[in-house]
Amino acid sequence: MDFKGLADRLGLEKEEFIELAELFVETGSSDLRQLQSAVEQGDVQEVVKKSHSIKGASGNLGFTEIFGVAKDVEANAREDNLDGAVGAVVVIKEKIDQLAQAINEKA
Amino acid sequence: MNDKQNLTILLVDDEPVGVKVLEKTLQKEGYRTISADNGPLARRLASKKQPDLILLDIMMPGEDGFEVVKLLKKDPSTAYIPVIFLTGKDELASKMMGFDLEAVDYITKPFHGREVVARVRLHLKLSLATNSLIESQAARLRQIQDAQTSMLVTPEDLPDAGFGVYYMALLEAGGDFYDVLQISDDIYGYFVADVSGHDIATSYITSAVKALLKQNCIPIYQPAESMKMINNVLKEILPEDKYLTACYARLNRDKKCMTIVNGGHPPVVYLPKEGQTRLIEIKGDVLGIFSDVYFGVQDIRVTEGDRFYIYSDGLIEKPGQRKVWTEGLDDLLKACSGLREIPIRKSVERLKDMLLEDTIGLEDDIVVLGIEA
Repeated sequence: MDFKGLADRLGLEKEEFIELAELFVETGSSDLRQLQSAVEQGDVQEVVKKSHSIKGASGNLGFTEIFGVAKDVEANAREDNLDGAVGAVVVIKEKIDQLAQAINEKA
Repeated sequence: MNDKQNLTILLVDDEPVGVKVLEKTLQKEGYRTISADNGPLARRLASKKQPDLILLDIMMPGEDGFEVVKLLKKDPSTAYIPVIFLTGKDELASKMMGFDLEAVDYITKPFHGREVVARVRLHLKLSLATNSLIESQAARLRQIQDAQTSMLVTPEDLPDAGFGVYYMALLEAGGDFYDVLQISDDIYGYFVADVSGHDIATSYITSAVKALLKQNCIPIYQPAESMKMINNVLKEILPEDKYLTACYARLNRDKKCMTIVNGGHPPVVYLPKEGQTRLIEIKGDVLGIFSDVYFGVQDIRVTEGDRFYIYSDGLIEKPGQRKVWTEGLDDLLKACSGLREIPIRKSVERLKDMLLEDTIGLEDDIVVLGIEA
């Protein structure tokens, strides 16, 4: 993962960016757990909220894949549609795990 | 701007990663940051810590960004603090709603560090330039509220100024601006400007210009000096691609002298009580670009009843015909010659009607300011 490139985009040092990425792994995982249970319960409002948080955080850090998936989930949920949300949760989880691994390798 | 001044920025977002990114980015630039993850806390901090600028997320649970701004603007202790909205691209439709609330600007998420820094810097400069003109906290508040609630002076506000005005802005963030100021018992200043662009920053610039006029159009300065002072501040605070054309006329009824200063603005029409209507063509630089600026000046002996019309280029550029303003000047002179019998206050709208009668829909803002000596 190109931490340096992502950091440059924000005008930050690589180390600072990794710190923020760690924070994202933490908050993102927690948001994701809540997203997952909201999806399971069919709680559309909560799905909007949680996917919005994940979208915002990942977007700010430049994690475009997670951003894209979360964005779709949010947009669909706003139209009462949770199709594909289960799959999206799996994809986001995978991406966050990859990110966590990449951070560990750098640390 | 004082370099040692520790400028504080309040960050409001319920999403912690975004807050951290902003904190790091802004701290690197030497700003102090404080943060809140909800609206009520943000308002408490704003009132207590008096930050210089607020970056505010729109979508938050509970009190959302719009609600927060409404309440901040209601509270006199926070009303003057500039606010920049943080908003997702898909929430951009809501941007005009934000603008109604006097929010100065917005940054779309996901944001880029450089954009955040540039916008923060711009708004702090605008805010400091406006604020540094004003001595006490109370005066500062009054001034900014004045600028927001009554940006445009009407002939009824200043009956002795002897002017009439027609003003039509396409958008709330219009680029045209005018002002009339009483400088002393017998001296009045009349100002018309056209700011390049029509974005949200433009409207903020016009309120800064209004404050600058108040500060600099005073008896101790010659009109060209006033314009130079204003230019120097604008050069500091405007973004690189922004400038304005302006015409400043100062009428001394006691000395029967009209002084006209031109900064890249279309020529003033002079309609003497007796004699031929003519253009006062004066060369001059636009404002906000050069530090070593040149403004042409002309003094005109006036007699009671002489008139002057200052206007923006929207009056002489016909939509569709793609006429540039130099070509519309002949029509303008002809139209002005027919205004003698019409009272000054009514004549401005009449002039607009004569020149733009066959026009459907405006393409540009229009301001026409008529002055009678």
